[in-house]
Amino acid sequence: MAAADRAAKPRCIPPLAITAYTATSALGAGLDAHRRAIRERRGGLRRNDFTSTPLDTWIGRVDGLESESLPAAHARWDCRNNLLASLTLRQDGFGDAVAAARGRYGASRIALLLGTSTGSIGATEEAYRSQLPDGRFPEALREPIMHMAHSLAEYTRRALGLEGIASTIATACSSSAKVFAQAERMIRAGVADAAVVGGVDTLCGSVLFGFNSLGLVAPDPCRPFDIARRGISIGEAGGFALIERVGDGPRLLGYGESSDAHHMSSPHPEGLGARLAIEDAFARSGLCAADIGYINLHGTASAKNDEVEAALIAELFPGSTHASSTKGWTGHALGAAGILEAVITLLALDEGLAPGMLNTTALDPACGPQMRIDNAPLGRRVALSQSFGFGGSNCVLAFGAERR
Amino acid sequence: MTAVESPRAFIDGIAWWSSGLPDWAAAAAVIAGGAAPAIDPRTRPAPSLLPPAERRRAPDAVAVAIEVASRACAAAGVPPAALPGVFATAHGELAITDYLCDILLREPLHTSPTKFHNSVHNAPAGYWCIASGCHAPYTTVSAAGFSCATGLLEALTQVAADSAPVLYVAYDTEARGALATSVTSRGLLGAGLVLSPVQSARSIAEIGWRVRAGDASQLTVADSGISALAGENAMAPCLPLFEAVARRAGTVVMALTPSCLLELRLAATA
Amino acid sequence: MPSSQSPAERALAELIVAAVNLEDVRPEDVDPEAPLFGDGLGLDSIDALELALEVSKRYGVSLRADDEENRRIFASLRALSTHIESRRTS
Repeated sequence: MAAADRAAKPRCIPPLAITAYTATSALGAGLDAHRRAIRERRGGLRRNDFTSTPLDTWIGRVDGLESESLPAAHARWDCRNNLLASLTLRQDGFGDAVAAARGRYGASRIALLLGTSTGSIGATEEAYRSQLPDGRFPEALREPIMHMAHSLAEYTRRALGLEGIASTIATACSSSAKVFAQAERMIRAGVADAAVVGGVDTLCGSVLFGFNSLGLVAPDPCRPFDIARRGISIGEAGGFALIERVGDGPRLLGYGESSDAHHMSSPHPEGLGARLAIEDAFARSGLCAADIGYINLHGTASAKNDEVEAALIAELFPGSTHASSTKGWTGHALGAAGILEAVITLLALDEGLAPGMLNTTALDPACGPQMRIDNAPLGRRVALSQSFGFGGSNCVLAFGAERR
Repeated sequence: MTAVESPRAFIDGIAWWSSGLPDWAAAAAVIAGGAAPAIDPRTRPAPSLLPPAERRRAPDAVAVAIEVASRACAAAGVPPAALPGVFATAHGELAITDYLCDILLREPLHTSPTKFHNSVHNAPAGYWCIASGCHAPYTTVSAAGFSCATGLLEALTQVAADSAPVLYVAYDTEARGALATSVTSRGLLGAGLVLSPVQSARSIAEIGWRVRAGDASQLTVADSGISALAGENAMAPCLPLFEAVARRAGTVVMALTPSCLLELRLAATA
Repeated sequence: MPSSQSPAERALAELIVAAVNLEDVRPEDVDPEAPLFGDGLGLDSIDALELALEVSKRYGVSLRADDEENRRIFASLRALSTHIESRRTS
C-alpha cells in the first residue's frame, strides 16, 4: 500500500506568492548587484585568499564580511556565517517585509525554514585554533549552539523577531532549495500561514580542504559544462525569501524532490534521481518541459555532475529552453546554492533575461541546444532551478513570473 | 495565537538503539521498570543492510540511523524503499567534526576524503537510500536541543500534507576531542518511527498533534529508568515521546523554539 | 593459491587494509595479483582517493586523481607496489 501511494504522482499544488526576496554573494550584497553582474557578465571569483595554508583554487568570497558586526543584543552569535546572514537580511528591505508579515500573521505563525551545509563550523575551526592551555575553547566560543548547524536559524529567528517554528535543513547542496518544499507543505497543512525560507553557507577551511581531498576543486575559475572543465570553485552566499498564500511577487509553482540511492559523492550515472525530481516538480506544478523558458542548472563544473546533467537536459527539454549554470559568476555556494540560484532564477524572470555561462568557452559534446553560453532574452514566464547534493539529495524548484 | 488542529498520524513501526539498549524491546522493558540487559555499552550497531563498501566506511551516526531505520520499516511491514524519510540530529557526526577541525590545524592537505564525505549532516540519510534502494526524498532536519520535535513536526507535516507514510529517524553521537569541552553528548542513540496517515493492522498507537505557543516550563520530562541510560545523549529530548509510545498513552509537550511547543496526544489504537 | 607477497607488498597491504578499513581481510591474505577495485578487494573511487593520500603520507609518492595511468597503477597490490617502489622518496 505504502509503495503504491508513493509511486502515485503527487497532486498539483496551489501556487504560492514570493512577496520578498534577496541574496548576497561574491557578486555583492542585494539584488541590484546580482542584476548588474549578470547583465554585464562580470564574475565574482578570485584567487583563494582565504586559507592560511595555500590552496591553489578560486573562490567566491563576499567582500566586507570582516568589518561586519552584530548588534550588541546578538553579539554572542558572532561568526562569519551569522555575519553574512545579518548582511543579507539588511538588503532589499527584506527585514521590513518580514516585519510587515509579522503584523499580518503574528510572529508565531511565520515558520523560519533555513538550509545550510556547514553552518557556523568556521566558529568551531576558530575555537580549535584558539584553544586554551587547559584544552577548553575561549569564553566567546564556548556556547554549544555555535557548534551546531542550527546556529544560523536561531540567530536569524532572533534577528527577525519570529516566534514560530524554526528549522534547519542540512542536506548538503540541496539544503536551501528543499526549504521551499518544506514551506509549501507547512502552509498547506496549516502549520504556518507564511514562511521565511533561505540559507547561508560561508567559506571555511574544512570545506575547502575537504573538497580538495576529493579532487574536486579546480585550479582555475570554474567552467560549468566546458569540455575542459577542471572542477568546482567554492563560494559563499546568503539568501532569503518570504512565502505567503497571496500577495504580489513571483510564484512558487512547484517543487520536486528525490534521492539518487547510488553513491555519497557521485551522481547517479544516468541522472535517475535528477529525472525523478524534475518529473515530481512537473506533477506538482502542472507544467511540462515545453513550458520551461529557463533552467538554472546545478552545473558545478565537476566532471561527473555536468556530464550527467547535460545529457539529462538534452533528453528532456526542447531546444527552445535556455539552460545554464551561474556558478561561473558566484562559485558553488553549497548549502546556500539553492536559495542563491532560486533568487537568480527569479531575477531572470523579472528582468526577462536568461543568464548564460561565465568562463565556459567550449561546451561539452554531451550538451544539447538548450545549453547557452551567452545571456539571452527570456520570453516564456516559467523557470526551473536545480540543486543536487552530496548523499544523492535532489531538489528542483519551479517558479513563475509575477503577473503584471 | 490560534492553536491549529492537524490530522492524526498512526505509529506503524518503532525501533530503538542506544548504548546498552540494543533494541526497542530492551528500551520498552526499561521504560516499564525492568532492568537493562547486560550488554557492553561500547557495542556499535552493525546494520546488515549496508553494502560492504558503505558498511566499512560507516561512522557511528550512519550505523545507528540505518539500524533503526531498517528495523522500524520491518516492524511496520513496509519495504524500506517505499518511504520518504525525515532524519533529525542536533549535531551530525561529532567525531568527524572533531577530526576535520583537528586535521585543519595540523595538516589540512592531509584531510581524509572518506571522513570528509561522511561529514555532511545528511550522510546517514544518503547511506540509507543507497542501502535500501530508496528514491523517495529524504530531509535531514536539525534544530539544536529542539531537533527531535522539529524533525517530528516535519514528518507529521509530510504525513498530513501528502497523505502518505513517512519514516522518521532521530539520532546523535558522542562528542569527541576538544569539541567535547563545549558540546555535551554521550553515547550513541537512534530511534525510528514509521508514521502513517491511516490506521492499519500494524498500527500500535495514534498521535494527535498541534503546534501552540507556550514556554519550556511546560515540557514533559522523562520519568522512567531510560533517563539514566540515554539521558546524556543530545537526542535525549526524544525520551518522553518514546516513554509515551511504550505506554500507548499520555500527552507529550516538546519544545520547537523557546516559545513554541509541539503537543502530542498518544492513545492506543482500537 | 595466491602468489606470495614481497616484503614491500606486505607493508603496502597493511596500509591498504588500515586505510580503507577492510572488514574481514588480513593483510597477508591480499593476493598481489588480484584486482584492488571491483571484484577483487571491492574498492571504489573514494577508496582510491583515501589510498592515494595514505601512500603520499607514507612513501612521499603522489598519485593524482586525474592521472591517466591510474587504471594501471591501481590494478593490483603488485602493480601499485611496483609503482611506489620506483618513485619513492622516503
